[in-house]
Amino acid sequence: MAVLRPSGDFDTSYEHDLAVVRQRWQWALLLLLLLALFTLPYYAPAPTVSLINRIGIAIIAVQGLNILTGYTGQISLGQAAFMTVGGYISALLVGAAGWSFFLALPVAGLGAGLVGLIFGLPSLRVKGFYLVMATLSAQFIIPWLTRHIYPSLLNGAQGINVPVPTFSLPVIANTCFLGTTFNAELGTCVYRFATPSQFIHITLGVLIVSTIVALNISRSRLGRALISVRDNDLAAELLGVNLFAYKLKAFFIAAVYAGVAGALLAHNLRHINSQTVGLVDSIMFMGMLVVGGLGSNLGPILGATLVVLLEELATVLAPPAAALLPTLAGGATAALKPLLFGLALMLFLIFEPRGLAHRWMLIKAAWRLRPYAR
Amino acid sequence: MRKWTLIMLVALMGLVLLAACGSPATPTEPTAAPPTAAPPTTAAPTAAPTTPPEAPAEPTAVPVQEPDKRTQNLEGEKITFYHFGDLSGPYAAITGPLVFGMEDAVKAINERGGIRGATIEVRFADTGGSIDEAVAAYDRFVGSDPNAMIMITYGSGEVEALASRFAEDKIVNLSAGLSAIGFYGPESGYTFGLGPIYPDQFGLFLDYITANWATIKPASAGDEIKLAYLSWPGAFGQGALTPKTRAYAESLGVQIVAEETYDLSPTADTTTAILNAQAAGANVIWTNTLAFGPAALMNGLGALGLKQEFVLGGCNWAMDLATYAFVSDPSLAVGLISPFPYLWWNNADHPGIQYAASLFEANGRPAGARNVGYLMLVTGVDIAVQAIEKAIDTVGFDNLNGEAIYNALTTMGPIEALNGVVRVDYANGVRAPQQAQIRQIQGGPDAFNVLQDWTQMPDLRP
Repeated sequence: MAVLRPSGDFDTSYEHDLAVVRQRWQWALLLLLLLALFTLPYYAPAPTVSLINRIGIAIIAVQGLNILTGYTGQISLGQAAFMTVGGYISALLVGAAGWSFFLALPVAGLGAGLVGLIFGLPSLRVKGFYLVMATLSAQFIIPWLTRHIYPSLLNGAQGINVPVPTFSLPVIANTCFLGTTFNAELGTCVYRFATPSQFIHITLGVLIVSTIVALNISRSRLGRALISVRDNDLAAELLGVNLFAYKLKAFFIAAVYAGVAGALLAHNLRHINSQTVGLVDSIMFMGMLVVGGLGSNLGPILGATLVVLLEELATVLAPPAAALLPTLAGGATAALKPLLFGLALMLFLIFEPRGLAHRWMLIKAAWRLRPYAR
Repeated sequence: MRKWTLIMLVALMGLVLLAACGSPATPTEPTAAPPTAAPPTTAAPTAAPTTPPEAPAEPTAVPVQEPDKRTQNLEGEKITFYHFGDLSGPYAAITGPLVFGMEDAVKAINERGGIRGATIEVRFADTGGSIDEAVAAYDRFVGSDPNAMIMITYGSGEVEALASRFAEDKIVNLSAGLSAIGFYGPESGYTFGLGPIYPDQFGLFLDYITANWATIKPASAGDEIKLAYLSWPGAFGQGALTPKTRAYAESLGVQIVAEETYDLSPTADTTTAILNAQAAGANVIWTNTLAFGPAALMNGLGALGLKQEFVLGGCNWAMDLATYAFVSDPSLAVGLISPFPYLWWNNADHPGIQYAASLFEANGRPAGARNVGYLMLVTGVDIAVQAIEKAIDTVGFDNLNGEAIYNALTTMGPIEALNGVVRVDYANGVRAPQQAQIRQIQGGPDAFNVLQDWTQMPDLRP
């Protein structure tokens, strides 16, 4: 649909034409939102902070999938497997090799990206359901490998404990600054991101970066090429777009996002094994993308938020449902989460197949056209 | 220029936020490093401190109340038991009865006046079998209660993921997820088992079959014991197979000839795994699964006509009525051998079992919930109450916290929960029961008969 701008919002320079945030009030709102999110632990209850943390990690994973599926049209059911790769890489680099988490995080993303490239190779030859099957194999091969290779390092099915992210500062004038505390063993001041209230700062920081990168990919030559591959790959190839290279790039970027999300998840949970994230999560990510809106930068944010909130609702509803229907405990209540997820997915596919992001565009357009909008 | 001003402003905001991320400290008072090892236990107990009470969970001792600490007459006070488990995922079949057991036991104690008058409040969260959800539930509980002191968990994966948090936050975790790593991992310490860890169970089974091979071996088997480990993937399913148990099996002359996994699903096909085990020459099968897990193996063995070719063993959860709900023919379950770290419903003249049965009937629970989970949690609540009472006697109610309960648990000496339904001693760094019987299914449901009475299990802690 056409982008409707408020009356009087003209482009006065090339910079202005390219700007994502165009108005001062929009900047103010954005800064306020960021401020509200970063200061969340100071006013919101801990469970809410924990929930936002989980939503943030899910958004990052879905943003990657959006580049692959939403922009490039390549369906993948391997996103959770690439998260596992990222989680293990970061866990090993921080836990076994003693790296800083902040260094291990991008390396985990790149490592997962390289694994994603391998599973992206079939994309040149197969499409649609066949590609789904090819990427589904990642969901079986990768967990199997984590259970069976290097047992002394990966600890088989039991998985490995993942250290809490920390950063160190030197002791200055016999004092520790920036909320750090003195660690006698290391002789430095250390800040531990141990609780959700602390970890959320990492999640939000990474989320901001991942959103900016995703936004810029979609607005760049790369993004336009990916969209052309999605819309008509033959035409794109005739126009000089190297299909194989761009499909692989999309797989790589999606897996990098998954790897980063996996590393965040592993350090947040402090544990990772072959079942921490699985096929169900890959399907959930796809569902989040459909609910949010494929091929839109807002889609992953809205979709992941809604689906995680629905999951939370199912968690809250299950115990009273079990108490209400004791003979069905573990039966009917077991279906609550997939039921809500399936229901949301079905309703969106019927009534809003372009997702929440499209609905948001319609609401904005209606607001700007008021009182003439229907 | 405006851009730079904006960047500086954002950077400044970030710095201010970072600075607010914790309380500053000076090097003169160093903060203790996060626990890397199990908290030290106090001196070993010298004798069993209490005689098992008639009504198991009722307050027994009446200590002299010191003026500065409240140990009696705690009416109006609350003690919260937090628990979370899988009510909407793959383990729901076993978690439902666990939750019932917990709720019924707490209700009975409250009806008898609570713990020294303080009411026990129960808060539950469903994890759906997801570790992510379990951590979220933990955060939710800890966030809402700064003095959360005791939590009960049901899954091995949850225990492993949360062990370091329990130790860090000094919250006692009584767990039915019997993961060795959860209890004895490098960052564990506050997690205690309601049953023996899976490696110890596997070790006891190996002891039994090697000692009795001549009488229990299948007709077609030779003198060599060749074991196939057929189980679910994941923390629980693979929980018994550790470097120590492998070495222990080798020391007993038991060869582990096949390791196969099958789906965590009631409709899992186990025939391939069984045929692979047969091809590898196995004559014993061990499974670390529950409910539909052992049932899938039994059904597979029945379908292939290979039931008589193997001795089938499983962890404590395998020998349960929940298994019968999924087995196609009850006779297929006959012969299963399991370590059995508690008494059973058919020990009807035992006061602890009578107590559990009376709770079950009084609360009108469905017949399907009369299983191991229910019994284990009634027992678990009894252990928790005994520990809390001791902690109250030691530090007073106003100073009651997780650390005090931890100290109580580790200094109580041998505990005979529910008059001996479970036997445990959490002293000297031991965090799970180490005694069990060996039982075998020798008839229909509930006919879990004793092959070997209470025995000290091999110590296969990591």
